[in-house]
Amino acid sequence: MNRPEDNDPLDALLREQNPHIDDDGFTGRVVAALPRRRRIWLWSNILLGLTAVGSALAIHWLPWENLSVPDLSALLSLNPQVLLPWLLVLSVTASLTWAIMAAAQWED
Amino acid sequence: MSFTDADLIARVLSSEDQHAFGELVRRYQSPVRGFLARLTRGDAHLADDLAQETFVKAWRKLQTYRGSAKFSTWLFGIAYNEYRTVARQRKELALEDVGEPPAEPAKSAADSRSDLRLDLTEALKELHSSERAAIVLCCQNGLTHEEAAQVLDCPLGTVKTNVLRGKEKLRRRLPDYQHYEST
Repeated sequence: MNRPEDNDPLDALLREQNPHIDDDGFTGRVVAALPRRRRIWLWSNILLGLTAVGSALAIHWLPWENLSVPDLSALLSLNPQVLLPWLLVLSVTASLTWAIMAAAQWED
Repeated sequence: MSFTDADLIARVLSSEDQHAFGELVRRYQSPVRGFLARLTRGDAHLADDLAQETFVKAWRKLQTYRGSAKFSTWLFGIAYNEYRTVARQRKELALEDVGEPPAEPAKSAADSRSDLRLDLTEALKELHSSERAAIVLCCQNGLTHEEAAQVLDCPLGTVKTNVLRGKEKLRRRLPDYQHYEST
């Protein structure tokens, strides 16, 4: 931890040369320029919430019994009964990832 | 009744209280504007624009302030980033290194103190921005080297070096410094 040297005239001079700057309406201008932070925060959370609810419903209705790990031949057969559940899982994961990234960007 | 910074921040976060934020701005406008005025070499107009942007950004990102550092340190960090963005746009960072100024003739003792203050302002402008920032934060605003390192987002050793090197340059560039030292 540093402490200005009391006996160093340069430190004393530097401290002297830091005068208080009068507000002169600066605070008023800043407050007038403030954006609506709450709305931005709300929208990002609404977006996340809606995606989470949608994802939960999608997971609830997923045909879990068909969600076995397919082998290569099953995948190549393009059987909708094998591919569709996995397509749904991928969609849910992608939409959740997108929502989280979008919300994070909004916060910035 | 006087509220602490933490009280005001809590009010802003809980109820978007612009008056509470205004009080925070009132408390810290002087050091932030002064810091930016030094960084912009006395361009008060640009410094005020950057200071306004600093506080608006602080308002928008207030929920990310964790309270582990002083609020002023957090604000100085935003202010320094704002300055760097503008400086990069204006390519000032690449152009600002200056050579040694020519030696000036010694002045009389009576003029020394007032002249020295003006000279110091000019000498500060001639420092590299990282040295100027480190000196203004540590020597004028009372931040510790650790806090300054946090603001400037650089290693602690770099801050210490910049303060030492900056002060050494100031001593060399102040023609009356030796006289002031002896009074």
